[in-house]
Amino acid sequence: MNPAAVAADTAERLDRAGSLNAALAWSPAALAAEARRVEALEPGGPLHAWPIAIKDNIVTTDLPTTCASKILEGYRSPFNATVIDRLRAAGGMVACKTNMDEFAMGGSTEHSAYGRVLHPLDGDRVPGGSSGGSAALVAAGVVPAALGSETGGSVRQPAAFCGIVGVKPSYGRVSRYGLVAFGSSLDCVSVFGRTVDHAARVLAAISGGDPADATAAAMPPLALDPPRADLRGLTFGLPVEYFPPDLHSGVRAGVDRAIGLVRELGGRVQEVSLPHTAYAVPTYYVLAPAEAAANLARFDGVRFGRRAGEDTDLTAMYRATRGQGFGPEVQRRILIGTYVLSAGYSDAYYGKAQAARARIRGDFSRVFASGIDALITPTTPTPAFKAGDKTADPVAMYLADVFVSAVSLAGLPALSLPVGRDSGLPIGAQLIAPAWQEARMLAIAAALEARLDPVAEVR
Amino acid sequence: MSVTPADVARLAALAALEVADDQVPALAAQLDRIVSYVGQLAALGETGEPAADEPIPGAGFRADVVRHTPMAAGPADFAPQFTDGFFVVPRSKARADG
Repeated sequence: MNPAAVAADTAERLDRAGSLNAALAWSPAALAAEARRVEALEPGGPLHAWPIAIKDNIVTTDLPTTCASKILEGYRSPFNATVIDRLRAAGGMVACKTNMDEFAMGGSTEHSAYGRVLHPLDGDRVPGGSSGGSAALVAAGVVPAALGSETGGSVRQPAAFCGIVGVKPSYGRVSRYGLVAFGSSLDCVSVFGRTVDHAARVLAAISGGDPADATAAAMPPLALDPPRADLRGLTFGLPVEYFPPDLHSGVRAGVDRAIGLVRELGGRVQEVSLPHTAYAVPTYYVLAPAEAAANLARFDGVRFGRRAGEDTDLTAMYRATRGQGFGPEVQRRILIGTYVLSAGYSDAYYGKAQAARARIRGDFSRVFASGIDALITPTTPTPAFKAGDKTADPVAMYLADVFVSAVSLAGLPALSLPVGRDSGLPIGAQLIAPAWQEARMLAIAAALEARLDPVAEVR
Repeated sequence: MSVTPADVARLAALAALEVADDQVPALAAQLDRIVSYVGQLAALGETGEPAADEPIPGAGFRADVVRHTPMAAGPADFAPQFTDGFFVVPRSKARADG
């Protein structure tokens, strides 16, 4: 299809998917402008005329960027994120900005100032989060791919819940220039795709060093591996800590299906141990809030965003702006971050968490050094849960990240692959690879995908 | 309970966050739940100095030069109040009194 037809079709699909509340900003006019821009490019770009949905914490000049927060309501960035420029250079079109948990803090997209996102297969359930809007639009067939961001699983977890592919690259693989910062030692721009190929092509297009981001590795763009027909010569590790006896039986059945297929394709499978896994969630919920408390200090009603308490004094204006602009989960995280960094507590919490992070990273290093090429685990402990199920207890919500946060702490690449459904709800299996091994990880996932029916019941 | 309502008030002041009085008890209970949960890190025992982070290939300090970003709009377009080249803020009472 030509770009103008794709733009018109995307507008129609976005309109039809409106009840999901997955898109925060889009317009037929902006889509038509994207099509005109693509028409002026040489054809043959790897993403030629692909409409791509963009999580609303990635800045764009022609659509607002709110991070799903009242504090940035109506904010329009004066520059584009590097990943936006790269998508466009590859022929991609910005389809829309997507709903998310406010400032990417949450696992269900219920913590948005603009209302929750509905799961495309069951409106009573959540699509996961924090990149829930991007995941829902790919799963609903509105766009073939989308950008999200990961701090602690915010793409892999919603990908698993929605039955699509979600890829988190190695820390430093993709420029974060123009990604609104949450936890800077963890944040990664990450990708959703309808298939592994969709996600891989988008990741390759946005990857590579960037003079505007000193934390992006000075490496060329990711070169994808050729497809592989089998998994001979590869050894897969099953970390025992990721398969507890009380694991949801549908999730277990889905992951077992993937493991069985790995064996059929000639891969070797063996149990391994990552002994510090139990510390990952508490470590994450010390470090991420600590970094968030610092990063979100910039939202003070002075330079951008909304201001409250205009007629008070300076300090009261700061406090009113932030108190009225940030939602409850963001406020909790800022307060926790402030607590774990405060005098008398930082050794017990922040210092301990840094040490735990080093041990978690060491666990992975040891396993990969022992000859394991990739790890296979469940992505989530359960399929998508019902809206409201976990909002009363923040810790219950945090535990939905139990299988994704260690990878983020270790800076490793990982992806979630749909492996089937349980009572109609998608199940994801997670592949975890050594740092900078995205190409092989994606080729492995594609080989499995080619032999799996993602909508077949797993038991 | 390790996080008290008084702690919440102190943290909110440190974080420049206005918290309504009637929200403080519930917030203290939630923060206490989170702090108790992350407190399991204490079981890690003596840890000594954490190992250094893995370096990112090719990453390092940039040249210490000003790098201009082309801007589609200026602060007058996105700042709450911007006049004559300045971000305008309410007067600081602490400064005025001092």
